Amino acid sequence: MNEPDDIVISVKNLSIGYGERVILEKINFQVKRGEVFVILGESGCGKSTLMKTMIGLNPPQSGEVWIEGGNLVAAEGEERLRILRNFGVMYQSGALFGSMNVLENVRLPLDEFTELPEPLKELVCLAKLKLVGLGGAANKMPSELSGGMQKRAAIARAMVMDPGILFLDEPSAGLDPITSAGIDLLVSGLARHFGITFVIVSHELASIFAVADRVIMIDCAAKGIIAEGKPAALRDGATDPWVHRFFNREADASHSVQPT
Amino acid sequence: MGPDGLARVMLKGRLSARTVVDCWRRLEQSLRLAGIKILEVDVSGVSFCGGAGFALLRYLNMGKMTPGAKVSVVGLAEGFQRLFEGFTVQDYDAFHPREPARSHPLIEEAGHATRQLAGDLRDQVDFLGGLAANLPPSLVNRKRMRWPEVRHVFELAGANAVPIVSLVSLLLGFIIAFESAQRLADFGAQIYVANTITVVMVREMGPLMTAILLAGRSASAFAAEIGTMKVNEELNALETLGLSPIRFLVVPRIVAGILAAPLLTCYSVLMGMIGGALVMLGLGFSLMLILHQMAVSVRLGDLAVGMEKSLVFGIIVSGVGCWRGLQTEQGPSAVGLSTTRAVVTSLLLIIVADACFSTITYFLKT
Repeated sequence: MNEPDDIVISVKNLSIGYGERVILEKINFQVKRGEVFVILGESGCGKSTLMKTMIGLNPPQSGEVWIEGGNLVAAEGEERLRILRNFGVMYQSGALFGSMNVLENVRLPLDEFTELPEPLKELVCLAKLKLVGLGGAANKMPSELSGGMQKRAAIARAMVMDPGILFLDEPSAGLDPITSAGIDLLVSGLARHFGITFVIVSHELASIFAVADRVIMIDCAAKGIIAEGKPAALRDGATDPWVHRFFNREADASHSVQPT
Repeated sequence: MGPDGLARVMLKGRLSARTVVDCWRRLEQSLRLAGIKILEVDVSGVSFCGGAGFALLRYLNMGKMTPGAKVSVVGLAEGFQRLFEGFTVQDYDAFHPREPARSHPLIEEAGHATRQLAGDLRDQVDFLGGLAANLPPSLVNRKRMRWPEVRHVFELAGANAVPIVSLVSLLLGFIIAFESAQRLADFGAQIYVANTITVVMVREMGPLMTAILLAGRSASAFAAEIGTMKVNEELNALETLGLSPIRFLVVPRIVAGILAAPLLTCYSVLMGMIGGALVMLGLGFSLMLILHQMAVSVRLGDLAVGMEKSLVFGIIVSGVGCWRGLQTEQGPSAVGLSTTRAVVTSLLLIIVADACFSTITYFLKT
């Protein structure tokens, strides 16, 4: 399948769900090279499931996910590995291996997939850790790190093989505003200086306005994408009442407590 | 290399994790030449430089391949130059691989073990105390006992274990029958295979095998379930809601264990006897004769011993499973550790209890 060169991910007619239950039906969108692309939506509407499908962890009910010219849904064996090498993933909890220290966590893909000499492996990891601001934490165990540090270490591990795309699942969830802003800065810096494409699942408004070039918003009721565009444009010009409420942080009236 | 010790390296093309490996080998061979005083690495022809390329340049720049030489890297793109300078020799030197943990001296080890044992004992007393305080009131007061939970656990630990208990007990009956038939044939007493199977299954193997299967299936499941709840802070949530985890989680499991173990044991005994009877039918004995031999070989006392054992084993299995679950600590391997401990401790206690039973019944002649 031939895509224009600046399209790195192309999702086509993708339907996902569990068993009989359909969460998203026949959705289509594309991610351009070097952009920070954010998937938005209310809790439980399938954002993380969509991301899991995009990275090949969750088989879709139908449809295709093309990443750098390969259809991850249909690919097997070597071809699947080739597609997987194009991206790194940071999971919501960091998912660092608890029995290894930070350096060993970051080094694991290098040990498994490269023939690099030991000193270079160490240097690559230390440089990546310095890049994410964890220069002094290489020897620490994941349990000794704060939530924000764990996410940074997970980003370092995701990018150790120099992938062109990074998927981040809720990078700001559970972090204080300062740490969260630090992650935003890191994402913007990596996108700007290294041309890394980011696909981020989030619902943190401040973070979205800070980093996103383009967002899509998915909705449970519509089982699809209800808005797409730049975050500022959606905030100011959304016609859909739900999108308007989301970007302007307005509560649903049914959630208010009424004295009886 | 020039006569004044000046050497120049030109790198071209892609510096990725794959190409750097070859590059490293060739550089190592050529730069080992003695006497390089100044090394210039020209990277103006590099089209892509990934993390591995960066590491190679930094390694060269730190003089690690040419000790004592002054190394400069020229031709770096502007953005990359900043990144290159951002990671300094100090950053590299600040990293010291963690030393492997030293082994503790014997006295320290003994101290640790004693402390752990004392802590374990205290936990046990705590647990038994909690159980003693919660179990009787729950049995008496209908509202305090979560009967739906008891039914659910009973189904998981008891009813769902029926297929595996059937298979194991049937095969056990087969094994005992074949083994004893061979020996008893020497004395012309093969008919007593039926007696052997019945006594062995009722008094010993029925309760023991059921308990071992329960330990493998249910003690581990209880420990993993309660352990995961502890890791997820669900036990803290119970405490702050004013609910005792012992009453809420442990009591229903112990009651289900007390109900399931004797019933499963009865079933196991029956299946073992069927297994033995099948072998005897194969040996040519009539069914009536086999049933008669089986009926006369056990007394009510034997059955009582078997049931008492199974009751105690049921309490041990469910109690130990819950106790080890409550002991779960934090960390990724904590639940796995609790599960292993639950199975090992229950098996150990089952055998100890069985030995006690054998001793007591021998002296009481029951």
